[in-house]
Amino acid sequence: MPFISKIQRQSDYTLFSSATPIVIDNGASYFRIGWAGETQPRVVFRSIVQRPRHKATGEIVTIVGDHDPALMKYFDCSRTGPRSAFDSNVVYQFEMMEYILDFGFDRLGATGSEIDHPVLITECVCNPIQSRSKMAELLFETYGVPSIAFGVDAAFSYKYNQQHGVCNKDGLALCPGFNTTHVIPFVDGEPIYKGCCRTNVGGFHVTDYLKQLLSLKYPYHMARFTWEKVDDLKMEHCYIAPDYASEARLFQKKSKEAKEKTRCWQLPWVPPPREEPPSEEEIARKAAIRERQGQRLREMAEAKRSSRINELENELHGLEFLLKQLEQVEDSDIPSFLAETGYVSRQEIESARIKVTQSLRKAKGEPKSEQAETEKADSGINEKYSLINIPDDMLSPEQLVEKKKQLLLKSMSDGRQRMKQKRYEEELERERKQQLEEEKRLENPELYLEQLRAKYKDLSEKVDQRKRLKTNGDHSNGNNLSGGIGRGERLSAAQRERMRLLTTAAFDRGKGEDTFGAKDEDWQLYKLMSKDNDDGDEGPDEDDTELARISSKLQDLDPTFVPKPETGSSQPAEASRVRPLTKEDFQIVLGVERFRCPEILFNPNRIAVDQAGLDEMAGVSIRRLSCKDEELEKRLTNSILVTGGSSIFPGMIERLEAGIRMIRPCGSPIKVVRALDPIMDAWRGAAAYATIPQFHTQTFSRMDYFEKGEDWLRSYQLKYSL
Amino acid sequence: MLMKGKMETEVVDAELVLPSYLSFKKVQMYEKYPKGQARGRHWKHLKQIIQAENYQNYPPDEPNYVNIESPPSMHPCKKICDITGFEAPYHDPRTNLRYANTEVFKIIRSLPNEYVQRYLALRNAAIVLK
Repeated sequence: MPFISKIQRQSDYTLFSSATPIVIDNGASYFRIGWAGETQPRVVFRSIVQRPRHKATGEIVTIVGDHDPALMKYFDCSRTGPRSAFDSNVVYQFEMMEYILDFGFDRLGATGSEIDHPVLITECVCNPIQSRSKMAELLFETYGVPSIAFGVDAAFSYKYNQQHGVCNKDGLALCPGFNTTHVIPFVDGEPIYKGCCRTNVGGFHVTDYLKQLLSLKYPYHMARFTWEKVDDLKMEHCYIAPDYASEARLFQKKSKEAKEKTRCWQLPWVPPPREEPPSEEEIARKAAIRERQGQRLREMAEAKRSSRINELENELHGLEFLLKQLEQVEDSDIPSFLAETGYVSRQEIESARIKVTQSLRKAKGEPKSEQAETEKADSGINEKYSLINIPDDMLSPEQLVEKKKQLLLKSMSDGRQRMKQKRYEEELERERKQQLEEEKRLENPELYLEQLRAKYKDLSEKVDQRKRLKTNGDHSNGNNLSGGIGRGERLSAAQRERMRLLTTAAFDRGKGEDTFGAKDEDWQLYKLMSKDNDDGDEGPDEDDTELARISSKLQDLDPTFVPKPETGSSQPAEASRVRPLTKEDFQIVLGVERFRCPEILFNPNRIAVDQAGLDEMAGVSIRRLSCKDEELEKRLTNSILVTGGSSIFPGMIERLEAGIRMIRPCGSPIKVVRALDPIMDAWRGAAAYATIPQFHTQTFSRMDYFEKGEDWLRSYQLKYSL
Repeated sequence: MLMKGKMETEVVDAELVLPSYLSFKKVQMYEKYPKGQARGRHWKHLKQIIQAENYQNYPPDEPNYVNIESPPSMHPCKKICDITGFEAPYHDPRTNLRYANTEVFKIIRSLPNEYVQRYLALRNAAIVLK
């Protein structure tokens, strides 16, 4: 991490006299606290508060700043994320602020019953009075601070750099911070807030933008992009392009420079364990097991069959015996004899016998000799259809009925015959075609394969197209990945018809008397409306079967051929999951993102913040100052200081210079410099300021606060040059 | 101090947890926000704070939090491709995404709606259902 937290507890708190001010740079991203006159803050931590539950005790605890992530496993942070006391750059949640101050003072080593030191604390430019007074109240009432001074961080940074000769007493401070960006003009070493301007874009937005872009680009690794990690990536890789459009064009053309500028973050990746092919023994063992199981099944089936044959034979014997007995029984005794057997007549017994014989034959697996049957049919055809050729007028009414029946039977059997014939012919045709193709293949295998592939492609596209047409806008499965509905896709004809039916049905209900259901046809409506109607209306058509045929053929001939996965249920995402993940899949490539994200500082429009960018703000600031003094304007632009966390991006100075040159009159001197330490200078400036003997004139005590009231606090302003 | 006894030694050693009692405070946290008491929201949003300031009652040339905001940019807003960040001459009327070339167009047409909305949300153009 580029910014390192310092949270060691200090032990020398008691060595400082109560006149030594405590200096706090209360930044929205980092909180820095230390002693006046020193060059480094004693304690630095991220300005966040977490209130997780301690897993073992169930207690809700407060954790401020960043700690060893390994220790966080004892806490359940799933309920609440890290919270900040800031909105934009104004402190608004004073409970959070109090936790942060608690932690800061505690780590500074504070003891005793109150904080008995004057406090200099930073705030944003033109802090709303409510935030300022609440802060004062908190420091006075809760910590017992004797006196307070409020100052602006960017101003302290400018003053610090002025003292070190980096910038002049007239100049501009550009401060791209965490949540906001400020420009403050300085005249005679004093900030002029009238000429200030603020754009609500800062480092936070840059990180957030990068985070969003990366997780959209690599949804698979979304969990990797934690705020902290992305912040690190931003610090390490982002830069500001001298000219966005031309830089982007470099990347669009995939030029060599672009390749050099592309960074790659390799996520930890372990090659998946390769599956060992099963050994010979294993295969043999498995085959043996399978064989044994098959054997057992076969035996079982055999046993079942033989028992059935046995049963049937017994029944047949019984029936034959019965028939024989029946012959010996006298006619008059037949009914009484039959009553015992349970059969009604002789015919019934005979038909039962035939049935049993048939099933016995089936059970034994004797083929129904079709030929015999057809022959029989041929021979019997004349007697079967005996009445057909006789004219109607020669027949009695019963015979007429019989004739009709025969006609029907005959046409049915003829139809069957024709079908059989047709099938046979088709078979022949197919065989002939296959032979032809085989010949073609042998003649010129390459050409043949080529043609086959082309055909496959053609067909599969056609089939796909149709499927898409059919499934478009199909919301029968809620998570339709193609997202048809709502995106203006058209419905298929069947679906449109269905919608029409539904709407008309709904409207019909309303008017007049309801006659629905009076006619039987009305109920047909439901059949038409039902969803099953949509698909399966054609069934697998020729193209599909042809496609399947070609694909199977290609699979046989071409070892490199991979059939396309069935569309529909398996979307491309699923198909890629089948592919084993490679090292490349675990690489996060940062190309355009490197300069696309910080670009929002110059073009807040990119993230829908309709405000001027950093370079333009300098012009706005000078305009707002409306000094009508060209010399002063020249002096201002000749000493532009960039400070704040987001000014560290490489290329910032060059870009600003170019940008400001564009909006200033030709020939005006422009000098842009970066602060000595854009991050720490605000605290250092404040710490130096607090050592000045007249510092106490700028502070106010609790008594002052209550006596002078809110209006006074509103107009309270630190004098920076004492 | 009592509750610390129950915590893991590493956690106690790191002094990770903010103690509930601090000697230098005149009012302790538990006195200010007693446990188990519904206290509602005791803070205001920035918007409410600004409203309460009544800036309209003060002279307009006096700088305040609201009037120091930057005006809208005067530069023409360049359209950039939502996916790649290149210059975007085209705009897809179906998804409302801007795109640079045909390759990107293919991508945006295959994007699920959720992703389209997330890309749009980056420039605050997503459809927000309320």
